[in-house]
Amino acid sequence: MFPKAVEDLLPRVQKPGRYVGGELNSTVKSKEAVDVRFAFCFPDTYEIGMSHLGMKILYGAINQVPYFWCERVFAPWIDMEQKMREKHIELYALESGDPLSAFDMIGFTLQYELSYTNILNMLDLAGIPLKSKDRPGLMNLVVAGGPCACNPEPLAEFFDLFFLGDGEELDIEVMELYRQCKHNGTSKEEFLRLAAQIEGVYVPSLYEVAYNPNGTVCSYTATQGAPQRVRKRNIMDLDHAYYPDSFPVPMIEVVFDRISEEVLRGCIRGCRFCQAGFLYRPFREKSIETIDAQSKTLCESTGYDEVSLSSLSTSDYRRLFELIDTLHQWTEPDKVSISLPSLRVDNFSPELMERINSVRKTGLTFAPEAGSQRMRDVINKNVTEDQLIHTVETAFAEGWNRIKLYFMIGLPTETLEDVQAILDLGKKVVDTYYQHKDRPGGKAVEVSLSVAAFVPKPFTPFQWFGQDTEEILGEKQKILREKVPSKRINVSYHGAKTSYLEAVFARGDRRLGQVLETVFHMGQHFDGWDECFDFDRWMQAFAQCGLDPDFYAVRSRPFDEVFPWDHLDYGIRKEFLQEECEKAYREETTPNCLEQCSHCGAACFKGGVCVEKRADLV
Amino acid sequence: MLKNVRIWFEKKGAARYISHLDLVRCMTRALRLARVPVWYTEGYNPRVYMAFAMPLSLGVCGNRECMDIRITEEISNEELVHRLSERLPEDLPILAGTDPVHRLEEVAYAEYQMDLRCSDSLALDGKIRSLLQMNTIFVLKHSKKGDREMDVKPYFRDLDIRSIDRNMLALSVRLPCSTAGSINPSLLVDAMRRYEGEELVPYITRTRLLLADFSDFF
Repeated sequence: MFPKAVEDLLPRVQKPGRYVGGELNSTVKSKEAVDVRFAFCFPDTYEIGMSHLGMKILYGAINQVPYFWCERVFAPWIDMEQKMREKHIELYALESGDPLSAFDMIGFTLQYELSYTNILNMLDLAGIPLKSKDRPGLMNLVVAGGPCACNPEPLAEFFDLFFLGDGEELDIEVMELYRQCKHNGTSKEEFLRLAAQIEGVYVPSLYEVAYNPNGTVCSYTATQGAPQRVRKRNIMDLDHAYYPDSFPVPMIEVVFDRISEEVLRGCIRGCRFCQAGFLYRPFREKSIETIDAQSKTLCESTGYDEVSLSSLSTSDYRRLFELIDTLHQWTEPDKVSISLPSLRVDNFSPELMERINSVRKTGLTFAPEAGSQRMRDVINKNVTEDQLIHTVETAFAEGWNRIKLYFMIGLPTETLEDVQAILDLGKKVVDTYYQHKDRPGGKAVEVSLSVAAFVPKPFTPFQWFGQDTEEILGEKQKILREKVPSKRINVSYHGAKTSYLEAVFARGDRRLGQVLETVFHMGQHFDGWDECFDFDRWMQAFAQCGLDPDFYAVRSRPFDEVFPWDHLDYGIRKEFLQEECEKAYREETTPNCLEQCSHCGAACFKGGVCVEKRADLV
Repeated sequence: MLKNVRIWFEKKGAARYISHLDLVRCMTRALRLARVPVWYTEGYNPRVYMAFAMPLSLGVCGNRECMDIRITEEISNEELVHRLSERLPEDLPILAGTDPVHRLEEVAYAEYQMDLRCSDSLALDGKIRSLLQMNTIFVLKHSKKGDREMDVKPYFRDLDIRSIDRNMLALSVRLPCSTAGSINPSLLVDAMRRYEGEELVPYITRTRLLLADFSDFF
């Protein structure tokens, strides 16, 4: 539903279907009959937000409680926003059409650093004060979760609390406490003190930060009984965790228009650049029976004809062939196709491709991440060139002729030779195609190399690493631009400036809050979109706040530096990350969790692969 | 067996903001969910066979729209309507399932109603009437071949204007609507902007689909 006043705006905006709600399976309750209303806010457009699995899980989990009602809110695109501001229409939720200010709790998901300005804009569009201290009541409590909550410090002033880790149980527990406090007329301060006692809840206002004269963090001190370190929440048994049996089916086309069935959480690989690989440990699989039943239920409630088996690395699911064969028993007669979002270079096989009949032979994507073996050893991406060549050979034999390869530049210890090796690898793939006897006749091979700039992230072995400066990245980019060895290779390179800003905020501290506020007031938002991103404006905002972005992005940190996220505990020991960092510089690799436990610390959660691999925990 | 069934539906509320392509996808999902034994096309990427009379423009409601599907097993029209209704969003209700009488290509005209909200319906009425007094009414018409100036006076000659209340004027008009060429009722709004400087937000509904002799299409 949408407010009556919006009707006059809709004929004049792009894609009005974004703003109207009314989808099949959306949950509409009576507001008088519920105790706590939760607005799930996705700080990007409808099409992106509606593709997000986490939102579907939490929407269902909250709405299955009779006295809670969760609704959806997305960032209006700039044309709609302008018209809403002209007509003084507050940002509203799609189920009831009620303004955001009518909600008890306003929750944002933090997926990406460059969406932070959209958060401020959404609050502002709803007339809600940006800063936590300017919202004295319990009403309009502003909360957040998601991967970027692992270092939420740049947002600390704006949010009342953060959820760390898996949200299925945690969010509900906090809402239960809220319900009680609302009923008893408890103050916001008291509610926050109580909430901080729940494992996985981080209340930033209860922590005092002291800084060293050089600008680094000296210490974090917990006050009012809050825990000194906040540990993330983990769902250990995915078979018994909540999973939705339906979700709102968008009427307009969205980015991922299909069912996402999560098959496992966590990752065994330990690629040293990958934050998700560490944040979501330990590796936990769902059983075939659960995946089968959940996928079937979702097909029957949504009408989709495609199920994507999603996770950080689905081909690591140990009984993948058996899983797909089980699903095929009903997906084939029902004309439902199965897709895998991510394939690894080292376990792509004709047997797997035979089972995934839906994969159209238009293009295949792999992520070797680096061009030289030396570089891949540094980042612990344990795939070899032989494996890659073997894999593309298989793909060519199966009829593919378009290959896309993902790489990063700006990785620790990287030299210009390592960058050149990206192009060499592309050339080898092209040569492999022409040496191949059974290649599809009459078609030329197309190899696209997509190259992004590396962003060092918290909770990874590279969290100490200073990002390459723009000059160095420019030099590396020049090689990629000028030395392309074949017309069959297409190199795309994107976002040195956006990567730089990501690096600033990924490892930022509380002082960056004023930069966000300043740049927002300059009119900046939708920074993840090229048409809106304005780097100069950002630099102006840093200057106005007297902060140097290089301090956050390109400075290398000593191992003994206190980080703004050190008081947040994701189970991974800082000492382990340091060991991994040192190994990286020695070009030594670390085996994956299935081969050998590397004692990262995630065993403290007492579950998943850790229990299987470490007898002392059982 | 293979049999064509004509499904009649309404498109209103939130559903009026979905494009024709999105409507097709929405109907496909609903037909799958309702387990209607539909015939799939036999191309490289099989899809549910569906044929529509004339697509509705984005933002326009339809009181009685239709699409043809092909079924492969016997199922009563009542049963089909019942099952499909349960699987569609509220704003896309199914009205009936019938055996097609006319061919889809026989649709030649459509009747539209335009509700115009305004501050003074009498004044607006006067402005529209004076617009229609002109010898020619040129507006910019968008088409695949590019934009061109076109005189729409002949099409709106028989416009019926009724004042609902002080703030609402209801217009109804019959316009060409076929693959050979259609006239969008919102062209009148464009003309009002150009000639009278009036900024109107119309609420448009396609009320009926008609044959060349203006009788109802079934």
